[in-house]
Amino acid sequence: MTALETAETGETTGGSQVRGRLRRVLSSPSGLIGIAIVVAHVLTALFGPAIVPYDFALQDADAILQPPSWAHWLGTDMLGRDVFTRTVLGGREIMLICTIATVIAMLWGSLLGILLALVGGWVDNFVMRCVDAMMSMPWILFVMIFVAALGTGTAALVPILGVSYGLSVVYLARSATLEFVAKDFVLAAQARGERRRTIILKELLPNVRDSLAVQAAMQWSWMVLGVSSLSYLGLGVAPPTPDWGLMVADSRSMMAVAPWAVIFPMAALSSLIIGANLAVDAAAKSLGVDRNARPGK
Amino acid sequence: MSKSGVIGSGFGIVLACALLTAAWSQPAQAEKVLRMAHDLSMGGKESLDPLSPVRFWEVNDLLYNRLVRLNEKGEIEPELAASWTPNDSATEWTIKLQEGVRFHDGSPLGASDVKYSLERINDPALESPVTSVLGMIDHVEVIDALTAKIVLSAKHAGLPILLSDYRVRIIPDGSGATIEQTGIGSGPFKLEEYDPEGRTILVANPDYWEGAPKLDRIEYLAISDADARAQALLAGQIDFSRVAQEQGPLFAGNPKFVLSEFPSGGWFGIVFRTDVAPFTDPRVRKAVRIAANREEMVKLLAGEGHAIVTCDNPVKASDPYRADLDCPQDTELAKSLLAEAGFADGIDIDLHTSNLETGMVRFAEVYQQQVAKAGIRVKLVIAPGDGYWDDVWMKETVVVTSWDERPADQILNEAYRSGSSWNESYFSSPEFDALLDKARASLDFAEAKQAMVEAQRMLFETGGTFIPYQQNVQFAYDKSLTGITPVIEDQIRWDLVDKAEE
Repeated sequence: MTALETAETGETTGGSQVRGRLRRVLSSPSGLIGIAIVVAHVLTALFGPAIVPYDFALQDADAILQPPSWAHWLGTDMLGRDVFTRTVLGGREIMLICTIATVIAMLWGSLLGILLALVGGWVDNFVMRCVDAMMSMPWILFVMIFVAALGTGTAALVPILGVSYGLSVVYLARSATLEFVAKDFVLAAQARGERRRTIILKELLPNVRDSLAVQAAMQWSWMVLGVSSLSYLGLGVAPPTPDWGLMVADSRSMMAVAPWAVIFPMAALSSLIIGANLAVDAAAKSLGVDRNARPGK
Repeated sequence: MSKSGVIGSGFGIVLACALLTAAWSQPAQAEKVLRMAHDLSMGGKESLDPLSPVRFWEVNDLLYNRLVRLNEKGEIEPELAASWTPNDSATEWTIKLQEGVRFHDGSPLGASDVKYSLERINDPALESPVTSVLGMIDHVEVIDALTAKIVLSAKHAGLPILLSDYRVRIIPDGSGATIEQTGIGSGPFKLEEYDPEGRTILVANPDYWEGAPKLDRIEYLAISDADARAQALLAGQIDFSRVAQEQGPLFAGNPKFVLSEFPSGGWFGIVFRTDVAPFTDPRVRKAVRIAANREEMVKLLAGEGHAIVTCDNPVKASDPYRADLDCPQDTELAKSLLAEAGFADGIDIDLHTSNLETGMVRFAEVYQQQVAKAGIRVKLVIAPGDGYWDDVWMKETVVVTSWDERPADQILNEAYRSGSSWNESYFSSPEFDALLDKARASLDFAEAKQAMVEAQRMLFETGGTFIPYQQNVQFAYDKSLTGITPVIEDQIRWDLVDKAEE
């Protein structure tokens, strides 16, 4: 009976388990590199304002498109702004937006997904068909409709991303939960007359937690790329906030003449995304989650 | 058949194939095609009706003729009008037409076509922006087959220069309902395919009255993004494009291209709608304009020597009617004007811009930084390029605008006279309109200039349009092209442009 009552993950060893997993992630070279890159980016974002030599918005008519030098380590852009300063600060806004939006997407997406799997029937069918319909629309189009309605900038982007990225979480959480809803420990909980909320929080959530954690990390790195694309198109972060996508869009016409204004923000963005992906891959392996078995993007 | 016969016939077939291939590829090489791009700024609604507010001006320049045009020196010269003579009070102008001009459908040009085309300007159903420029045309009388008399409702000594407007084109009598689709004019090129969102194709008009054009075809591709246009030119997809100042270096050192630069009266500006609060208050309007540092804007955006500082004055530097004004950055005055108007804590502005033309967003960014010191907090809103003129401009309260040069009388009437359809700042002042009327009615240059100068000063004091500088125009084109003169597109003689064989 005891075996039936306990959810399959074994909650008791929580702390040491997390440490064990982290050790496993770090023991793989790619995982170590990935985590190092992400941590470096996070630290740069946190302490960037203290280390940058210039004001990110400072325009200097006498220093337009200067190549890298002692005064401007990574050169200057078309308005004479310091590329180093802007590259260092260029990830702050985007990481903040993506982190908050990921939390929102995971919260509503996973709770709705688990609930639907548990409830089943026509409610599940109806809601999932709605989700299908929304997911059949290309992501960028979906987001652009909202951006057109709500405008650009951080305050608009967070809810837009939180909603749009939550759709694939609904899918994942629901299919991950379906594996467990017919299992004995859930049936037993239902037979005991446990409330639905208790079943979700105590029995189901612990079992799908690993899949969701991997999904959250993936969501975050997709979002970073997504917001950069939006900024590149002029629909994301508004100038003069330093942002990698915006910096690339701004200077792309001068790439042949002043490559530094494009290459450094591009390198920063790619390294963050590659780092996040390496870390997620290693984490998925150590958790035994198949990260390719996800729906959506 | 003998063995040698087989070899002989085989050789014959090979030779025939080779000749056929050569013959096939020969005409393709010989055809001279000029490929250009337009910016799709009317979002696909580009109209072949030259008077339409969404006129497809790039193509219309090639399909139709005007009565008169400006030459390379900026002087008026005959086009369809062989001569033009005013009466003593300049209320009636007699136009004699060139002989032997035919429209693309074969019909001859006559005075009735001039009457139809000019009287159409004032058709309210068209909502043409030209109405504000040539609204004083009362009617046109047909004197004989090739003579027309333009009768004005008020005297105007400078009518011919207004007739050189790029939209005042002569179309066949009665063709207003179909012109939008047919594009039948008397110009050097004829319409073959009209697809503003894709490829619009024009072919040479062999019977053109000034002599057959040197090119065989002109193709216009829709490319809405300015950087994409420059890249298309670099990649050889198009042969000619206007390029922004900052794109110059991409072509300057390249032996495949010619980069030509010349002074012009064109500008980027910021429009503050004078009919929407807080810009209904002239103090706020002046504050948001004088808070900017124009010299620095020239340095940052155009480069020294590539633009001339202007004090919100749309009249170009070389125009005889231009007012010389002084407008240094004055942050303190801007602050105190805002405080007087009740905005002691500064104001917040949503400034709409777009990547439609290279530098439009950067222009807004520089303004945003410069005026911050005066307590003007600007938030940039970046709109999509296609349809910008249709959906954003004249709709949102504060927008970045872009104009090409126009003669003083034309631009002041078109963009600032009360109620004119391209009055983008919704500026309305009876006093200003009276000054324009006075200038038009005056037959004395000094008197007319005084009124014009007064009107320009008024714009600087109370207007809703910020114009920091007027910039040079740059063309970049394939070096095989000849005949491209340093004048804006509608003044280029496209019939004389030629393409050397590669």
